[in-house]
Amino acid sequence: MPADHLSATFSALADPTRRAILARLAGGETTVSELAAPFEMTLPAVTKHLKVLERAGLITRGREAQWRPCRLAARPLREVAEWVEQYRLYWEQRFDRLERYLDELQQEKPHVRKTAKRAGRSRRRTRT
Amino acid sequence: MSAKPQNAPAAAGEELALEIERVFNAPRSLVYAAWTDPVHATKWAPHGMKIIHTEAELRPGGKIRVGMRHVNGAEHWESGVYREVVANERLVFTHAWEDDEGNRGPETLVRVEFEDAGPGRTRMFFRQTGFSSIASRDGHRQGWSESFDDLAAYFGTL
Repeated sequence: MPADHLSATFSALADPTRRAILARLAGGETTVSELAAPFEMTLPAVTKHLKVLERAGLITRGREAQWRPCRLAARPLREVAEWVEQYRLYWEQRFDRLERYLDELQQEKPHVRKTAKRAGRSRRRTRT
Repeated sequence: MSAKPQNAPAAAGEELALEIERVFNAPRSLVYAAWTDPVHATKWAPHGMKIIHTEAELRPGGKIRVGMRHVNGAEHWESGVYREVVANERLVFTHAWEDDEGNRGPETLVRVEFEDAGPGRTRMFFRQTGFSSIASRDGHRQGWSESFDDLAAYFGTL
């Protein structure tokens, strides 16, 4: 995974307005003025954010001079997601160990293990 | 999350976060101790790793530093500072991997919360954030890519 790409992606994502723009683009391609509408922002201000996103490769823009539509480019975001995913694997694995360790501790003291059988495997929910 | 179109980036509309929820068959005080008491904290290292050093000043502003050694001999160190310490309820701390010279790589924030989930059971909420501010915080690209290489290598050994 190229670290330079990730740096640019993280910088671009560090701004909440830019994240909001990406969220809107996740719904489909749109024009700059359509993008600007909900943000109470001037067109040049939105254009500035779009340039940062474009440089980071997070969006692409159409070549039609009149209304260059903005489109979400998925790859850099996928790289970020993969990086977070690596962290997720790391923690999940540690928590599996923790679960087993806690079970071992409880087995040493059977009187506090009343509910363990009924509880079975721990429930988990992950979200990135 | 379900409101988002399919394939929508998780990072787009909100702060990028890693969230894990687990229920353990152990009382809250024990799960909390597993995170904070060195006697327990060394017992749940990642696969193939042995924890060779733990340091945990359990108070806001207190330092944490953990050293691990893989069966192949490679050492990995992580460090951070406690932001919140509420016994049996909540831990908030910064987290970063260190390189061979002890320089800290990109820093993230970890928040762990514990609540009762029936007799002798504990629900743990884990949340790691700060991924999206990493690059802007960590201006020098060299340090970033090196620590990233470390991290990638580290995960490769698991």
